[in-house]
Amino acid sequence: MMKFRFRRQGNDPQREKIKQDLFAFNKTVEHGFPNQPSALAYDPKLQLMAIGTKSGAIKVYGSPGVEFTGLHKDTATVTQMHFLHGQGRILSLLDDNTLHLWEIGQREQCSSLEEVCSFTIPCRTVIESTSATRVTVLLPKLNCDLLAVGTEGGGVHFLELPSLTLLDKSLFQDEIMQSVPDEYKCGKSLGPVESLQEHPQHPDKILIGYSRGLVVLWDLQTRHVDNLFLGKQQLESLVWERSGNSFVSSHSDGGYMVWSVSSSTPCTNEPVSSTITYGPFPCKAVNKILWRTAESGSPLVLFSGGMPRASYGDRHCLTILQDSQHVTLDFTSRVIDFFTVHCTDAHKFDDPSALVVLLEEELVVIDLQTAGWPTIPAPYLAPLHSSAITCSYHISNVPTKLWERVVSAGQQQGSLQTHTNWPICGGKNLAPDPKQQELMLTGHEDGTVRFWDASGVSLRPLYKLSTANIFQTDCDHNDSLTQAGEEEWPPFRKVGCFDPYSDDPRLGIQKICLCKYSGKLVVAGTAGQVIVLYLSDEKSDHMIDVATVDLLQDREGFTWKGHDRLPPKSGSVVFAPGFQPVVLVQCMPPAAVTAVTLHAEWNLIAFGTSHGFGLFDYHRRSPVLARCTLHPNDSLAMEGPLSRVKSLKKSLRQSFRRIRKSRVSGKKRVSSTLCEANAHLAEQDAEVTPVQRRIEPRSADDSLSGVVRCLCFADTFLRDGTHHGPTMWAGTNSGSVYAYALDVPSQEKFSEQSVEALLGKEIQLMHRAPVVSIAVLDGRGNPLPEPYEVSRDLAKAPDMQGSHSVLIASEEQFKVFMLPKVSAKTKFKLTAHEGCRVRKVALVNFSSVASEDYSENGLVCLTNLGDIHVFSIPALRPQVRYDCIRKEDISGIASCVFTKTGQGFYLISPSEYERFSLSARVITEPLCQVEFDRPHDSSETR
Amino acid sequence: MNRSFNKSQPLRPLELDAVEVKSKYGAEFRRFSVNRVKPGKFEEFFKLIMHIHRIANMEVMIGYADVHGDLLPINNDENFSKAVSTAHPLLRIFIQRQEEVDYSNFGTNTLTRKKKAVVPLRNDLNRKRPHIRIGMPQDFRPVSSIIDVDILPESHRRVRLYRHGSDKPLGFYIRDGTSVRVTPHGLEKVPGIFISRMVPGGLAESTGLLAVNDEVLEVNGIEVSGKTLDQVTDMMIANSHNLIVTVKPVNQRNNVVRSSRISGSSGQSSDSSGSGSFPAITHSPSTATVSHSYAHDDLDSDEESDIVIESSVSRPSRRSNTSHVHLQTSSATPSPPSPPTRPQSRPPSVISTASFHSQPSLNGTAHNSLSYRLHRDLNLQQPHYHSTSTRESNGSLHKILSSLRTDPRNSLALPPGGVEEDGMVITL
Repeated sequence: MMKFRFRRQGNDPQREKIKQDLFAFNKTVEHGFPNQPSALAYDPKLQLMAIGTKSGAIKVYGSPGVEFTGLHKDTATVTQMHFLHGQGRILSLLDDNTLHLWEIGQREQCSSLEEVCSFTIPCRTVIESTSATRVTVLLPKLNCDLLAVGTEGGGVHFLELPSLTLLDKSLFQDEIMQSVPDEYKCGKSLGPVESLQEHPQHPDKILIGYSRGLVVLWDLQTRHVDNLFLGKQQLESLVWERSGNSFVSSHSDGGYMVWSVSSSTPCTNEPVSSTITYGPFPCKAVNKILWRTAESGSPLVLFSGGMPRASYGDRHCLTILQDSQHVTLDFTSRVIDFFTVHCTDAHKFDDPSALVVLLEEELVVIDLQTAGWPTIPAPYLAPLHSSAITCSYHISNVPTKLWERVVSAGQQQGSLQTHTNWPICGGKNLAPDPKQQELMLTGHEDGTVRFWDASGVSLRPLYKLSTANIFQTDCDHNDSLTQAGEEEWPPFRKVGCFDPYSDDPRLGIQKICLCKYSGKLVVAGTAGQVIVLYLSDEKSDHMIDVATVDLLQDREGFTWKGHDRLPPKSGSVVFAPGFQPVVLVQCMPPAAVTAVTLHAEWNLIAFGTSHGFGLFDYHRRSPVLARCTLHPNDSLAMEGPLSRVKSLKKSLRQSFRRIRKSRVSGKKRVSSTLCEANAHLAEQDAEVTPVQRRIEPRSADDSLSGVVRCLCFADTFLRDGTHHGPTMWAGTNSGSVYAYALDVPSQEKFSEQSVEALLGKEIQLMHRAPVVSIAVLDGRGNPLPEPYEVSRDLAKAPDMQGSHSVLIASEEQFKVFMLPKVSAKTKFKLTAHEGCRVRKVALVNFSSVASEDYSENGLVCLTNLGDIHVFSIPALRPQVRYDCIRKEDISGIASCVFTKTGQGFYLISPSEYERFSLSARVITEPLCQVEFDRPHDSSETR
Repeated sequence: MNRSFNKSQPLRPLELDAVEVKSKYGAEFRRFSVNRVKPGKFEEFFKLIMHIHRIANMEVMIGYADVHGDLLPINNDENFSKAVSTAHPLLRIFIQRQEEVDYSNFGTNTLTRKKKAVVPLRNDLNRKRPHIRIGMPQDFRPVSSIIDVDILPESHRRVRLYRHGSDKPLGFYIRDGTSVRVTPHGLEKVPGIFISRMVPGGLAESTGLLAVNDEVLEVNGIEVSGKTLDQVTDMMIANSHNLIVTVKPVNQRNNVVRSSRISGSSGQSSDSSGSGSFPAITHSPSTATVSHSYAHDDLDSDEESDIVIESSVSRPSRRSNTSHVHLQTSSATPSPPSPPTRPQSRPPSVISTASFHSQPSLNGTAHNSLSYRLHRDLNLQQPHYHSTSTRESNGSLHKILSSLRTDPRNSLALPPGGVEEDGMVITL
């Protein structure tokens, strides 16, 4: 019977056309740092960098705005990647032992990444185990016609490029063994091929390093061993010196050796020098070494690993050595790979300009030309998750004034630097400049709020606000690790900002609200702290006013069993220019704040927890209202979520580093043929106890029914149809809505008169589902403008003639009630129809691609199944539906935020936002071009 | 002697076609006779009784003792003729003042006081309630019904569960499972949703219309195939105040045999007879059929008003209930003293009767007992309704209900400016 509702919608072709002009779903760009990176490659000719991930994704980056993404068909770890220099081609090796060739393709002025072909090394004989043909290293020749493939079995195969056809000139160990002196043989195999390096001067010669330590200079033309280097230490990596007169090998004992190459001595027994930097005690292996000559003096040696096993075996380090200069970069996450940006042309020296290190959780770039080797902030790959993200907040169309003030505050903080010396600058960004400035605010577990420039394709950090400094916490925030490091050997230097260790979980940010016109910010946290901050361009040293609001309101029989409140610091605190805390409102009990809102024109903030909600006048610093929403039988509300988490002492933290496991990103593609489904079902039959779900309507005394889910301020008609005035609305988890009429004194009398709140209406939704959002619509059915927008002529004044209505979105249905009587006008029962529940809603203005002037307001809703529905308002007619997030990705769904113009963000991993667009007009996607010269196009060879 | 002769004399010729009547009003007895073959109209009989007992200006109920000794009401031609025809040898009439009527006595064996134990099909539950009380029809409200018998395949059953104001849990669980379907490729196993458990004493169990391992096919008209267990759970919960589940019963023996339209309802009544032994919600077949017509009504109507009907039907009673609860919990005002059970149970029965009128096709004579029960329903409900409505504090409720009575079709939509259809509003 309810199916008709939808059928009727689709009939009007004119409406369909309008819908096409308004709505379109696109996943546009991924912001942040790729989750679980596993491989790195760099093309010095095109100046492009590629990062491969464990989920099989390849991401190519050039100059800011230049980005391509490719995804392998199989979800397998990308273990190695190599650019075919200058050709716009990438070779990737997956851990399923397949080789893939990718090409940057040109499509209508902009470039994209496509897979061209793939290859698997065939087994030579039946007897040979598959592990023997397992690829260990790849070497594409610089002239890009040949690929050498080293295997676990010790063989080297050669493939023609770019067709990936196996050439019949494989080199096996027995051939090498013939030239190896008997005393070195000892009847043992040489082990897997560990390294393949092309001779920098003679393209026909390659250096082959075997795991056992033997290094061979092999001539491809003559198929002859030129030189033998009888290394006795297990080999990790090899690197040529630019001239080709010597090379460096790194070893599992933490040392590296320099070998000289001369045609006169075909067999070298000993290296020129052998160094174990962090000896004499046993050290870990040096996984990779780079040797770069410099015009200014001695060569730079850069290697990862090699730390003394006992004392610093757990550190993730990279060492840079040049003459007496020695720095041990100490990272907080594992080093995946690194490369240098240096001269590759006919120049005499390498003269490296930058070191690029890919870590498991961030990308660090070191300026090697500036003394002291400072870090260069990256214009992309922002480490969003440097502390775990706890909430996100988006502000569209930021006024220039606020933007400039935030940017300048950020510049003084040093978190915003110019990217003039960014070394990776291939490609051209063709995307037009963003029409408006957009801010993304992320709240973090460590009590910081980070401001990001979300206007364009790359998310840039602008400013960082810390709220921890106004509280006394268990630990001091100036980490003593770096200070102590100076006297230590090795000369550690902490680099990077990824810090997975939370000092005090109570500092975590739960809700953010910013008034973009007045620069007032409200930040609320896990321990019931609600902080009001003003944006100031001057440094300040002041006391913070603290007010405590009891949300239990003398309700008997409740004792809070959760965490304590955060004690505020006594005395004045120094604040840098930027957002400076002014008032701290502490909710009691100190449960996590679940909703917060701000009306800067009325100087009011409203906040809610699982116990109730409060209204506070931050101008007069006086509480206006506190209301308990707790149900008498609710016992769960009295336990904070952190009650069982003991705050760890710092010493403990250092000894037992609590590594937060990265959530495996969900890029698994589910193929569901009927066969598989049936097989799956057959398995299910065998199971004894299937999952059961109880069918029972919600009752009033369900636990956590008092949680305040949303708060909203509106100037509307609550008491009667003729007088409008300030109102405040609150919705709870059990479907209750409270509406208060506020008596706000005029601007001039703010200081003398106090704000008063009178309960106007209480609405109990029959279905008792949690109220997700409340919004008031004006007489034309449009959402009310934000504070200041009307008084500053920034928005059209709302229609106060026609009757207002309130849109209440619960988890199950949307309803529009007429005001002031609160009589139901329209509704849409989403759950009853579709079986999905509302997770996030937003009122969005969609503008048409066909006409600049035409726009419609819509209600956008993300459900627990990860699909997005758009409804018209106030008629609540379904418009479009798109699948957006996998329904299993609960944190993705929970993190979703919508912008006011029809875009959205959600976390696809702890470190990445996926940006998507619902609007046909407002789309932020990478548009870029890379120019290259590709001699043999794959289309010709195939 | 003469007297006795005179008295007995006229009786003798009537031996074959006259029934002796002993009518008792309070402590007074009257004896007279009526014609067994042509008892006449109930109205005439009623006037006769009034006259004989000299009752005036008083609402009275007339009851008789049937062959089993049960007190049954006489209030229409049908049951009057039944009473006369079954009287043997004497028709015992009991007159009670309307106010004093103890409805719970009707239909039970209170007259004979045999204390015959009820057939204890569900021992445990019956033991707690040794004495069955069967309410008067106006105290009945639909709890469940089988609907759309005429449009569904015989192997399917569409069950409607009414949960207005009942404090009984819906009381069932669902699970994932495998169902076998006939497809063009032969038999195929497909995922399905099944009822996995019944909560003892819950609404679902007590109706007897749903059973463990019944496959759930639709929820409120929406197919569940392709939906996950969680989705179906959410759909059912979202529809919980008026849940319509279409199931494929695991036990296909009780299926409705659709030989004729009306036997459909009798088939269903025999089906629900399993629950007949369960006293708390015992339903005469009439209840089920009435709600059938009622449900049918809104399924056929425009889907927009369908939602309104559902809510306005369930709403008034619920509202008084929720507001009651709400005041207790959130604003700590003393709760209104009116007992919530009575007004709750009343409106639906009123509406059922009303919609019965709108479905004349069902008012067929083929099903005698059905129509007569409905008549009784209608007649009894009226005076009773008036007496309760004055007691009813909620004026708007009264308005809605009376408007429903006058014209059920039109007034099912919300009266403008009336109470909202969903959710209650307290204006303070």
